[in-house]
Amino acid sequence: MDPLTLLTAIIFLPAAGALALVAFDRKAEETMRYFALAITAATFMLTLFLWREFDSAKSEMQLVVNLPWIRQWNVNYYLGVDGISMPLILLTSLICLLSMMASWSIKKQVQGYLMLFLILETGILGVFLSLDFFLFYVFWEVMLLPMYFLIGIWGGPRKEYAAIKFFLYTLAGGVLMLIALLMFYFNSGRSFDLLHLAAIGQGKVEGFAFNPTVQIIAFILLFIGFAIKLPAFPVHTWLPDAHVEAPTPISMILAGILLKLGGYGIIRIAFPLCPFGAQYAAYALVLIGAVSIIYGAFAAMAQTDFKRLVAYSSVSHMGYVLLGMAVWKINEANGAAVGRDYWLMGMNGAMFQMLAHGISSAGMFFMVGVIYDRVHHRDLNKFGGLMQLMPDYSGLAVGIFFAGLGLPGLCGFIGEIFVVLSTWNYSKTLAIVAASGVILTAGYILWTIQRVYLGPEYKGPHAEDITPMNGREKAIAWTLLIFAIVLGVYPEMMFKVMRSSMDALIVSLDAGYQAVSAAVETAQK
Amino acid sequence: MAGVDLTAYLLVGAVLFVCGIVCMATKRNGIGVLMGVELVLNGANVNFVAFSRYTSLGLDGQMMSLFVIVLAAAEAAIALAIALNFYNNHQTIDVDRGSELQG
Amino acid sequence: MFSPTAIPKFLAVAWLLPLLGFAVEIFAGRWQRDRKDRTAAGLAVACIATGFVCSALALFTWGIHTGWAALAPSAHGEGHHGESHSAAHDAGHDEHAKADDHGHDAEHAKAESNDEAHADHAITGPLTGTFYTLARFGSLQLSIDFYIDSLTLVMFTMVTFIATCIHLFATGYMSEELTDDYVDHQVHTRNGGHFHRPGRFYRFFAFLSLFCFSMLGLVIAGNIFMVFVFWELVGVCSYFLIGFYVERKSASTAANKAFIMNRVGDFGFLIGLMVLWTYFGTFSFGAYNPEATGYGIASGLKVEAPHEGEEAAPTVATGLFGMARGSDGQLRIDQDVDGVATVVMTQADDTDLLDAEGNHRMIPYVLLTIAGLGIFAGCIGKSAQFPLQTWLPDAMEGPTPVSALVHSATMVAAGVYLAARFYPMFTHEVLLTIAYIGCITAFVAATIAIVATDIKKVLAYSTISQLGYMMLGIGVGGWGAGLFHLITHAFFKSLMFLASGSVIYGCHHEQEMPKMGGLWRKMPITAFTMLAGVIAIAGLAIPGTPIAFSGFHSKDAIVANALAFTYANPSHFLLFVVPLVTAGITAFYMFRLWFYTFAGKPRDHHVYDHCHESPRVMTTPLIVLAVLAAGCAIGGEEGPLYKLITFSQPAGVDAMDPPPAVAQTTLPGHEAVHAVHSQAGMYALIAAFLGTGIAWLVYGKGVLDPADVKRQLSSLHTFLSEKWQFDTLYDVMFVRPVHVVSSWCTAFDRVVIDGFLHFLSRLTIKVAHVDRRFDEGVVDGFVNLMADSTYSVGRSFRVLQTGKLRQYVMFIAVSVVFLFVLVFAFFPRGSSTSAPEADVKVSSRVVPRPEVNRD
Repeated sequence: MDPLTLLTAIIFLPAAGALALVAFDRKAEETMRYFALAITAATFMLTLFLWREFDSAKSEMQLVVNLPWIRQWNVNYYLGVDGISMPLILLTSLICLLSMMASWSIKKQVQGYLMLFLILETGILGVFLSLDFFLFYVFWEVMLLPMYFLIGIWGGPRKEYAAIKFFLYTLAGGVLMLIALLMFYFNSGRSFDLLHLAAIGQGKVEGFAFNPTVQIIAFILLFIGFAIKLPAFPVHTWLPDAHVEAPTPISMILAGILLKLGGYGIIRIAFPLCPFGAQYAAYALVLIGAVSIIYGAFAAMAQTDFKRLVAYSSVSHMGYVLLGMAVWKINEANGAAVGRDYWLMGMNGAMFQMLAHGISSAGMFFMVGVIYDRVHHRDLNKFGGLMQLMPDYSGLAVGIFFAGLGLPGLCGFIGEIFVVLSTWNYSKTLAIVAASGVILTAGYILWTIQRVYLGPEYKGPHAEDITPMNGREKAIAWTLLIFAIVLGVYPEMMFKVMRSSMDALIVSLDAGYQAVSAAVETAQK
Repeated sequence: MAGVDLTAYLLVGAVLFVCGIVCMATKRNGIGVLMGVELVLNGANVNFVAFSRYTSLGLDGQMMSLFVIVLAAAEAAIALAIALNFYNNHQTIDVDRGSELQG
Repeated sequence: MFSPTAIPKFLAVAWLLPLLGFAVEIFAGRWQRDRKDRTAAGLAVACIATGFVCSALALFTWGIHTGWAALAPSAHGEGHHGESHSAAHDAGHDEHAKADDHGHDAEHAKAESNDEAHADHAITGPLTGTFYTLARFGSLQLSIDFYIDSLTLVMFTMVTFIATCIHLFATGYMSEELTDDYVDHQVHTRNGGHFHRPGRFYRFFAFLSLFCFSMLGLVIAGNIFMVFVFWELVGVCSYFLIGFYVERKSASTAANKAFIMNRVGDFGFLIGLMVLWTYFGTFSFGAYNPEATGYGIASGLKVEAPHEGEEAAPTVATGLFGMARGSDGQLRIDQDVDGVATVVMTQADDTDLLDAEGNHRMIPYVLLTIAGLGIFAGCIGKSAQFPLQTWLPDAMEGPTPVSALVHSATMVAAGVYLAARFYPMFTHEVLLTIAYIGCITAFVAATIAIVATDIKKVLAYSTISQLGYMMLGIGVGGWGAGLFHLITHAFFKSLMFLASGSVIYGCHHEQEMPKMGGLWRKMPITAFTMLAGVIAIAGLAIPGTPIAFSGFHSKDAIVANALAFTYANPSHFLLFVVPLVTAGITAFYMFRLWFYTFAGKPRDHHVYDHCHESPRVMTTPLIVLAVLAAGCAIGGEEGPLYKLITFSQPAGVDAMDPPPAVAQTTLPGHEAVHAVHSQAGMYALIAAFLGTGIAWLVYGKGVLDPADVKRQLSSLHTFLSEKWQFDTLYDVMFVRPVHVVSSWCTAFDRVVIDGFLHFLSRLTIKVAHVDRRFDEGVVDGFVNLMADSTYSVGRSFRVLQTGKLRQYVMFIAVSVVFLFVLVFAFFPRGSSTSAPEADVKVSSRVVPRPEVNRD
């Protein structure tokens, strides 16, 4: 299959599925569900096929498609995959598949729900695959609306508030990104080509350069935009509300994939396009990362709403992503990276943490959803004793929660520990701050497990509705747990996909920073 | 006819014109008003013919007066039709009774 | 028989079998016929027993290939001197004799065999290598390694053996769980009844298996990162086992406490890891192969010089130990450019290690100390040392076999094991800290044990106290002594825990000693095996003869080291006095326990009447362990166990010269220890007999009523039985502040961040209102005004529209006149008006007026 067909199919198959759903009778809900499931499954298969086609030994973009789209503005339908986007594409299609399986709990307006869901998937895959900044931006915004409606229509009691909060936050980020996009466009002789822009940003293109001021401003704009999505302290408060109100499958997607877009944006756009700005802001990034870790953990500890707790744990875990990316220490004299291998490790750790968090947080939200579907409340103080009533569920949940806790052998550990280990090289204080997260994380997760699963009896309402997990739920939970174990024991599975691209990224960023700062010095003389 | 020059014609025309105006302004009878209109038109005709004769206007003036006569005939036909209709509606042709067009 | 390369394979089998067991057993609820099925237990026992066989085989193979050098009669005289000292004295000369040296591994890859005596022995040092690489980033590599020396092998054998005994015991002890309707009398439901649940026999064994896997992984670990991995896994297994009775609030709380306290220690561990990782760039203890991807042995085997056409030996990089210390076992202290003391890293051949730019690689001395303290913080957590000791007594909430395995013989021993394993990386300051922490712990725990009445709690505190001893031993330079005590303690403590388990089982889950008494008549085997353990831990011996239980030998070794250390550093005299006093207290409370439980008259006849001796499956392990508790240390420091352990002793342990720049303490040499050995032994024995005597007088003979003493010293008693108020203190100092801070964070989110956002949104709405008013008032107002005025003008013209025909005619007439007047009055002449008139060819006689105008 040629790249054009393959990549286009991956992106637009869900959207085509959404269109096809129009043809169904409104009442044929079950058929529509199976149809949508088949679409997501087919997308997953396609991404697996993409993985097979993908050559992880190459560091550059592969399976590139480049067709003109809007000639007047030099916008292209420009797609490609490399080691950074490949794992995230796999994660996306997997989590979408699992969330679709979890969507049987949606009873209201099934047709509309499934359509929006599939359009959302198209948007996400489009973001991960596009190499044209304009296209990227378009997909970015395409993602936003379905999400808004999914929360706003199928959400909980305060769904309007949550949906609008989510929408405004993300839109604000999008606007900042748009400004940066235009800055690059007009400073680069009208190009949206991310690779070309990156080359300019790294001082590799004759005749064009993003000067330090442009880089710093653009980086800050992009960073804020992506940090909202990540989310990092202090722009994280949309997350708990959105999660609490969103229906379970949407929470899974939100935590499992959408948050990763922030990290992906930083690693794909913010860093390569403005290495000077990135290095300039590195300390702030690490600081924000460390604060997010601690802050999220503390905030999680005080929650009484199960979902809100998991949402705050996401803030904490995504802090590691930011931390790992930014541990870029330079030699002030010549601008060369000091301990580049540690930075490489941090970067890899951050990427891995995204994948691990995609698995573990989706799992945690799913687990909350399973019990919520039965007893219709999420008050942590009104659970207890589920280990007796739902042994399978509790066992799986404990496993997945331990993955979130960062237990060795499960996926959360690898990301966290790699990031933390690489941090000392950058800053001792922040490394200690970040490491102290392990205590707090253990604290809130264990306390949660104790309150929900342990104890003699269930304390809340609807005790009679507590039934063991059905086969569909078990399949989802087992898949997630198995992935958590496989990634925890054999992280190389993903590291080998990322390796060459990551190496190349680090090398080019390092060289890019040196080139830009050398140019600045020459100019000063 | 030597003593008769343009001014005399114009005078006659003016008198006719003024008579017509006064007739229009004072008559309450619709037919009377119509007669006033005829006077005004013919006053103007006199002027046209006079200018045609005494200036370099040539036959244009007479052409115009012919037009006006035709026009007057048509106008008279329409006006009489209006008057008849007016009478049908109001049982009179007193123009003061017709004030439907008042703003 | 087996080649040396089989050793890691044997250990790997022993290590991974329990994991396999776990994977099968955890699903036993599904594949078993019913809850009465014992298959899971059988599987668990089979796994761990096979593990023991494999470990023993590995030990044996290792012995063959080292020619049993560790046990050779000369091993002490020369083994000690020749193997550790000679390394210090004539480093670089006698390559192969210093088999315990960590810094020379790579050398073997190149060096010719120049030592005839060891020429036929294939193993020349610790076997190091890689099972599996987790990840690699540039020059950095994280992998699952192994590091096998005699200590590893001894630990493996000990752990698997004790675990086998405990597994066996547990099949009896946990048999109450073999039911579909287990009634938990400690848990009350809301409707007033007791809690019912299906038995969880299989689950217990699944977790035990997982625990064994984790512990063995920790022991075999070849790098500190892998230690950390299994460290955490051990922690989580402990969490599952302590919280085995998930329905008991106290159990789940204790489990949380254990895990979180351990994590506090791990926080320090992590800091240590970060420092090491940043400065050394490797976690590997010994030499490793940086290119390794799969199973491979990097060093430890004698490698012949490669012949022509053969592949060269794999490239081998120096591990942590080799980098920090040269082959003489000393840190290379230097000053860097700023005059800060630093430690220069060395390579295998004792040359300095250079980085890519050719600079010396070095680590500031302070940071090495911090790294050491950090790693030791992990040990504090895991080994329940002061100030993180409080989780261990609470951990007694788990079933008793768990207490025996996890919280006496193995998991808590992991901290001591790591402190010993990581010894070469510790600076003098760290060692001193270790010694003092151990000293404080030993004393504090022993005092609490005096007043504890729960039989398991007494044992728990005695465990903490004994672990303190081990730490003390390691801290004062008694590397071998500390580990010696670790092994002997593992035997007698697991014995005592199992015996107490037998008591609890026999007394139907009665744990309070005041309700027991005189039980030896009912359960003689338990009573006498327990007595063996008590004698062992008290350190009793018959003076002047070599007849002594294992505890005497090991404790004696520690006390001797402490005494020698005190002689060398008189200001640290407490390090000798406190353990000596503690030795007396230990003897006192252990005999108190025995007398209280087994001797005297029954105090609660209900308990006494119903109690019975345990079945054979439980007593057999007791007897086996009792024999070993008595005899495992046979021969003392001349005996095989001690020699085997010290065969792996890091170079230069005995007489570590004080580093010149930062000298604070001197570690005593072996001779110094030897010189005070008999003296120390005597002191220790006196203390032990004193303690035993008092216990006998008070609890055996009854000359003094303990209740009276309790009344006399009630405030002290309360203080001790409240465990020195540590729990309260931590609650006030940490737990509550954390909750307060977390509520602050939430409030910050809600009030400040969301408050700001809501303020923004309200502001936006306000602005929108103003905007609306502006739109409505100003913009629309203007447009409306225009429309209105146009309209009103129109209205005003309406008046003219009278509908009166005659009036219209009047208007026309008047207007025409007016226009005439206007035109002729105001624009009588002008170029614009003259031009069209010029076109009209007016004859002069007809129109005179233009003529007039032209005039």
